[in-house]
Amino acid sequence: MSPDILDEAMEVWFGPQHVSAHGWATKLTLVGDYIVECDPNAGYFHRSAEKVLEFKNFRQGSLVLERMCMLEAFLAEYPYVAAVEKIAELEVPERAKVMRTIMMEMSRLHSIQFWWGQFNAELGFFTMALWPWVDREYSLDVFEELTGSRHTVSYSTPGGVKYDFSDKFMEQLNRAIDRFEDRLQKFRDMQMGSPTFRARTEGIGLYDAKQGLKWGLSGPPIKACGIPMDLRKDDPDPNLAYDMVDWEVPITENSEHPGQSDALDRMEQRFKEAEVACHIVKQLIPQIPDGPIIDPKARAKANRLPEGEAYARVEGTRGITSLWLKTQDKAQTAYRAKIRGPCIASYYALKDLVPGSKFADFIVIFGSLDPYPGWWDR
Amino acid sequence: MSTIGRAVINKIPEVTSSPLGDNKIELIVPVDKIRDVVTIIDEELSDALPESVFGVDFENDKYQLIYIFWSHANRTLVQLRVSLEGEKPEIESVCDIFPGLEWHEREAREMFGIEFKNHPDPRLLLLPDELEGAYPLRKRFQTDQSRLNETGITPPKPRPKEGGDDK
Amino acid sequence: MLQLDFFAWLSGIPVWLQDVLLWIWGILKGIIWWIWDIIVWIWGLVFAPENFMFLFRAVLFPGLIFVVMALIWAVWFTRKLWGRIQDRRGPVHLGKYGGLQLFADAIKLIAKESIIPENAKRWMFRFLPGLLLVIVLLPFCFIPWDFEYWYIADLSVSLVLVFAFLTAVPVIALLAGWVSGSKYSLIGGFRAANNQFAAEIPMIISTIGPALLAGSLSLMGIAQAQQSVWFAILLPINLATFLVAAIASVGIFPFDAPVADSEIIFGWRTEFTGIYFTLTYFAEFAEQMLYSALIVALFLGGPTGFPFLPGAVNFIIKFIITFFFFVLVSSSFQRLRQDQIVHYCWKYLLPLALLNVILAMLAIVYLPGLAAMLPLGGG
Repeated sequence: MSPDILDEAMEVWFGPQHVSAHGWATKLTLVGDYIVECDPNAGYFHRSAEKVLEFKNFRQGSLVLERMCMLEAFLAEYPYVAAVEKIAELEVPERAKVMRTIMMEMSRLHSIQFWWGQFNAELGFFTMALWPWVDREYSLDVFEELTGSRHTVSYSTPGGVKYDFSDKFMEQLNRAIDRFEDRLQKFRDMQMGSPTFRARTEGIGLYDAKQGLKWGLSGPPIKACGIPMDLRKDDPDPNLAYDMVDWEVPITENSEHPGQSDALDRMEQRFKEAEVACHIVKQLIPQIPDGPIIDPKARAKANRLPEGEAYARVEGTRGITSLWLKTQDKAQTAYRAKIRGPCIASYYALKDLVPGSKFADFIVIFGSLDPYPGWWDR
Repeated sequence: MSTIGRAVINKIPEVTSSPLGDNKIELIVPVDKIRDVVTIIDEELSDALPESVFGVDFENDKYQLIYIFWSHANRTLVQLRVSLEGEKPEIESVCDIFPGLEWHEREAREMFGIEFKNHPDPRLLLLPDELEGAYPLRKRFQTDQSRLNETGITPPKPRPKEGGDDK
Repeated sequence: MLQLDFFAWLSGIPVWLQDVLLWIWGILKGIIWWIWDIIVWIWGLVFAPENFMFLFRAVLFPGLIFVVMALIWAVWFTRKLWGRIQDRRGPVHLGKYGGLQLFADAIKLIAKESIIPENAKRWMFRFLPGLLLVIVLLPFCFIPWDFEYWYIADLSVSLVLVFAFLTAVPVIALLAGWVSGSKYSLIGGFRAANNQFAAEIPMIISTIGPALLAGSLSLMGIAQAQQSVWFAILLPINLATFLVAAIASVGIFPFDAPVADSEIIFGWRTEFTGIYFTLTYFAEFAEQMLYSALIVALFLGGPTGFPFLPGAVNFIIKFIITFFFFVLVSSSFQRLRQDQIVHYCWKYLLPLALLNVILAMLAIVYLPGLAAMLPLGGG
């Protein structure tokens, strides 16, 4: 080793075999403790989902999509279902719309609980990593009661939903929401007030909204910069029930760096989104109308679709998740299905966001953007 | 027609548009005008989010590239459609205007074989090295099932025909 | 004529054979007597009364076997306590309350394949974990578990010797990171050395307080000087800074950066597998136990306490409570970045440690009642 080792650049692969690298391989060039170059490499998780969708019929396609990100399964499978409904011109009953919205918000809640625990585990705070995960168990109980499965739920189907709410389910849903709302406040104060935590996340990973948008970021990373960009309000889907609820898009403002967001803001933003999700679910629970849960003509119409193109989007936990679908006349499978996952921008943004920070900040920046490799590799 | 559509067509008359819905417009752009159109979109829609760029294979060496932009301030979705032809079609890259499209263009290149001129980083994004040049998302690409016996799983049903089976 | 008389020679063979056999027999007898002499000598050495008790103390209590059992207990206690803090249970399956889990883990780990990376320096790689554990276990000799009898050694400078051993530990960590032949280990080793740079000085300054007040540099002397008042009452800030600096020295949360498992996989311990991992894993807990025992001896009065209990039991009770606080503090914070560790230690720990020593000195000079209680003032 040469004497001026600290001035030499050292290449470290934050690679596929790493405790907190959930399927990415980033090549970092370090000089001393500072990262001077960051080269993200995707592709370790590629499952060729888009090609698979060309061989699955229209009721099976959403199952491929929910496995892209199982943490927000209800949100992940929705774009495919919505695209099929647009092309086939299916009518979704009111009850199904409300049920879908409730489960999508529960899914968002579950994803935020998971991310919260994981972010803390990456920071080394195992106590605070496991406490939100206890609440996550209650959310997973809710999913299991409804669909029989904790992660791969396959709930939405073209024309409506598959399973109906039971009394036991309503009881578990109320219990999960009440419990989490109560603990969210306590844990949030405990976490945000801790000076060591603030020292670790304040001022880390700053970017402003315009830069973020150019990279392709959407969802909480942009809302944390103070811009209320939310598809649930900007582009409301008629097949969901967000207009039946009185709610505001949560944003976070940074007083020291106006218009920009750091890791702490992004964390705060996700807490606010969890609060809004609980609020929406609580308002929707008494408003569930009676009726059928699926369009009676769905099975017939969704078997072979006419020729058409549709682009359906949903505001996922991490940003805009969408599916562009093209069908040929009387086909049983898609002709081309393009899945757009929000995290492709999170991973790409590291190339410009990370250089200049210390090695230990890399995981803080990346964790605060909430990455999930299933969305960029598909 | 929305303002952005009017702005683009006024400056570049070769572009045509077709309506898609209340807040979405589609512009059909010739191959050589793509950079001009994207530049106008960047100027007119100050907070344009580049959602994706992807290809569609229409067989017989005809491809289409679809660009999708979303603007939150104007609540408008702009979809650009570019038609390409040839065994290895070429188009200019727009990732210096919208950096977020860099990886989408890389993926379109490795999956369809569409060459993006002046792209800063034309490596493979998702595919392993042995599939370079195989362009998997083209319709003529058949998955190679030759090593399926090694996995020990039961062989799958015969490959479905294009358009699905009739049951 | 030089002719061999054949028959005379023939009749001499049995005599010759007999002589040879007698010679062999003599050698064997000599060997057996020699072995017997050695056995008698060892027997005498071990079972002579004072030697036997010394060996008993060195090996059984409070020596090697006791320390190893206490180590196993400490790991179990840590895992159960962490589990309860994190709203889960810890090990429950093996033994009552999961007590035998550690044995199962140790057996499993020792039976695993030890993989040595190609770039590693093999003999150093094999040697360092054992050296680490030995160096961490050795200072237990000097801990005064009891005043009269239950201690192994009492040097007049045992405090300095203990810290001499403990200062070697981060150096071994740096070496281990270096010889592992992997970049993550190297970064972890550098961070361990940086931790030492940050935390060693406040720790040693915190121990100057008790040493000054007791007027002696031996742990036994410091423990004996606390028979009227515990140093924790006179030097509370020193107790706190010693605790924090000890946590930083060991390298557990929140000063976990050398072993940051989400950034550099496992720091300088990354490449150790199998038996080497077991040794480094136990060395971490042995260090925590050592610091707890040091805190009890330096600040909490050592064997003094309840008069109706023997001194060793008092010490062990205080030791358990101190270890509990060690685990509790370390589970309540998240990891600090390396430069923040150096920043906090130098900016906050060092001035506070110095401050308390100065205050204690001033109190001794200006409060004669206090001075009378301590050996420094003649008490």
